[in-house]
Amino acid sequence: MKLDSKKAFTLLFLFLPILSFAHDVTSADQEILRNGGLFAYIHVGATHMLTGYDHLLFLAGVVFYLNGFKDIVKFITAFTIGHCVTLIGATYLGITANEHLVDAVIALSVLYKGFENLGGFEKLKVKSPNLLLMVLIFGLIHGFGLSTRLQSFENGTEDLLAKILCFNLGVEIGQIVALIPIVFVITFSRKKKQFPSFYKAVNWYLVLAGIGLFIMQMSGYFSGH
Amino acid sequence: MMKLNKSVFSKTLLHKILKPFYLLSAVILLCSHDLYIKMDSYFLKPHQEAIFSLYNGTFEESENTIARHRMEDASVVAHGNRTAINEGQWKDQDSTITQLPFKAGEAGTYVIGISTKVNSLKQTAEDFNGYLKHDGVLDMLKERTETNTLNEDVNESYEKHVKAIYQVGDKKTEDWKTVLGYPIEFVPVSNPYEKYSGQTLDVKLLLEGQPLANQLVYADFVKSAHGHSHNDHGHHHDHHGNHSHDHEHGTDHTHTNGEQLRTNAEGIVTVKLPEDGIYYLRTIHMAKVDKGDITHESKWSTLTFEVTHQHGSHTHTHDDHEHHHDDELPTWVFILGSIAIIGVLFMVFRTKE
Repeated sequence: MKLDSKKAFTLLFLFLPILSFAHDVTSADQEILRNGGLFAYIHVGATHMLTGYDHLLFLAGVVFYLNGFKDIVKFITAFTIGHCVTLIGATYLGITANEHLVDAVIALSVLYKGFENLGGFEKLKVKSPNLLLMVLIFGLIHGFGLSTRLQSFENGTEDLLAKILCFNLGVEIGQIVALIPIVFVITFSRKKKQFPSFYKAVNWYLVLAGIGLFIMQMSGYFSGH
Repeated sequence: MMKLNKSVFSKTLLHKILKPFYLLSAVILLCSHDLYIKMDSYFLKPHQEAIFSLYNGTFEESENTIARHRMEDASVVAHGNRTAINEGQWKDQDSTITQLPFKAGEAGTYVIGISTKVNSLKQTAEDFNGYLKHDGVLDMLKERTETNTLNEDVNESYEKHVKAIYQVGDKKTEDWKTVLGYPIEFVPVSNPYEKYSGQTLDVKLLLEGQPLANQLVYADFVKSAHGHSHNDHGHHHDHHGNHSHDHEHGTDHTHTNGEQLRTNAEGIVTVKLPEDGIYYLRTIHMAKVDKGDITHESKWSTLTFEVTHQHGSHTHTHDDHEHHHDDELPTWVFILGSIAIIGVLFMVFRTKE
C-alpha cells in the first residue's frame, strides 16, 4: 500500500473511460434471445460472464488471495452458490432494482477485495471479516446484478424458469472458461521473484477499478443513463 | 367426323390456353375479400383524431368498398358501453376503401366490430376449388377430395364479422374481452395491449357463441409504420417467411401467409408476437348445408391489433439504455487496457523495490 495517492488518482482517471464500457447487454443479445430459444440463454449467459468485467475482477481478487486448488474450489463454490440463489430467485420472482445501484455495489465488492488483499484491514487495525462469508454475500449481490440484467431482456412468460436456469448455466460455463486463464496466470506468477510487485499491481488495479466502476455507475444513476 | 374432331380439338386447345386465365380470374375475384379494420396506428392519444379503414381484399390492399346496407352491425365498445356507429358516418374514400373518421375518447382499451349481412355466390366447381385452396379453407377442400365431390358446383352463402382492438392512452380497460355476439368472432384471452413483442397471445374463436375447436386460423403481421423494432438493427428482416407484400395476383398468391394455426379443444390459438407490428388473424369457417339452393355456408372473421415492445422500469429503453449497451467497448480493448495499467503499476512497484 505504498503507491502514493497522486499517482493512484492519475491512473484512475486514465482508465475511467475504459471502465465506463464495462459489461452490458446489447440489442444483439436481445435478438439472440428472441430467436434462439433456450440455447440462446446459455450463450448469452456465458458471454455475459466473459464480458462481465466486474464479476471477473472480483473473481480474480478472490483467486489471488488463495494458494491451494482446494481453497480456490471452496471459495468459488461459495461465490457460485451465492449468485445462483439470487439470480434464479430474484428473476423468477421478478424482484429487481436500479441496475446502476446494483452494479455500484458490485464495484464496491471489487474495491473491497483489492483492499483486503493489500492488507487494508490490518493497516487500519481492524479485523477483516470472514472471507468465505464475504464471498458468499458478494456472490448474492453479483447474482442480483445478473438477475437485474437478465430481467432487462424481454423474456416473455413461457418457460421462464427454464430460461433462467439456462442463463445461469451459461454464467457458470463462462465463469469456468474465464477462471482457467486467471488461475493459470496467478499460479505461474507465484513462482516468479517479482510476484510481490505483481501482487500489489493487480490488487491496486482492483482498488482503482472498483473506485472507477463505482463512480461510473453512480454517475449513470444520477444522470439517468 | 373430321370436322367434328377438329372442332373438339380446337375447343380443348382453347380451354387449355384459357385455363390459366380462368384460374387467375377466379383468384382475383374470389381470393381477395377478407375484411379487416385497419388503422394507421392502433395506439392513440385520448381525443386524438383517427380513421378506421375497412379493407375488403387483403390486409395490404382493399378492392371494394362496403355498401352500408350490407352492414348488420358496426359498433365500438369502450368503458363497458357499446355504441352503434351511425351509417351516415361512413365515407367511401374511393371505389375501394370505406372509412370512418372519428375522434378517440378517454383512455382505455377499445374494441370496434363490423358485421355484414349474409350474401351468396354461385360458383363452378373449378372456381370454388381454387378459392378454397387460395384462401386456405383446406378442411373443406379435403372433404371434397375425400367425398369425391370436387366436380360439384356450389352456391355459397357468406358473411363477415371482423374486429379490431386499439389502445387509447395508457390506461388499460377490460373492454378487449367483450363478446360482440357475432356468428363468428375472435376474443382474446388476455388484453393484447398488455402483451409485448417477444411474447404470445392466446385468442379464442367463437362460433355462435361457443368455442370452435380444430379450426384453421392464419396469423400474420406487418411492421408498424410509426413504430420501430428491435430488429431494425439486426439481421432478422425476413419475418414474414415467404410473405410477399406485392399485390400482384398470380398462381403463387395465397391468403395463407404467416402462421398457420389450429384451435385447440377450447377453441384457442396461441399467436406468436415476435416483433413490433400490426397483427391480424383470419379464419373462414365453412360447412356443407342443405338450405334451399345454398350448398355451403361460410363465416369469415378477422381480428386486428398492434403490439409494441415493453417500456418500463424493469426493461431497457431505446433512447438511453439500449444505445448505451450498444456502445460497449470490445472485451479485448478492456483486457489490453487493464494489462497496460497493471503493467504500469507493476513497473512502479518493482522500481520501488
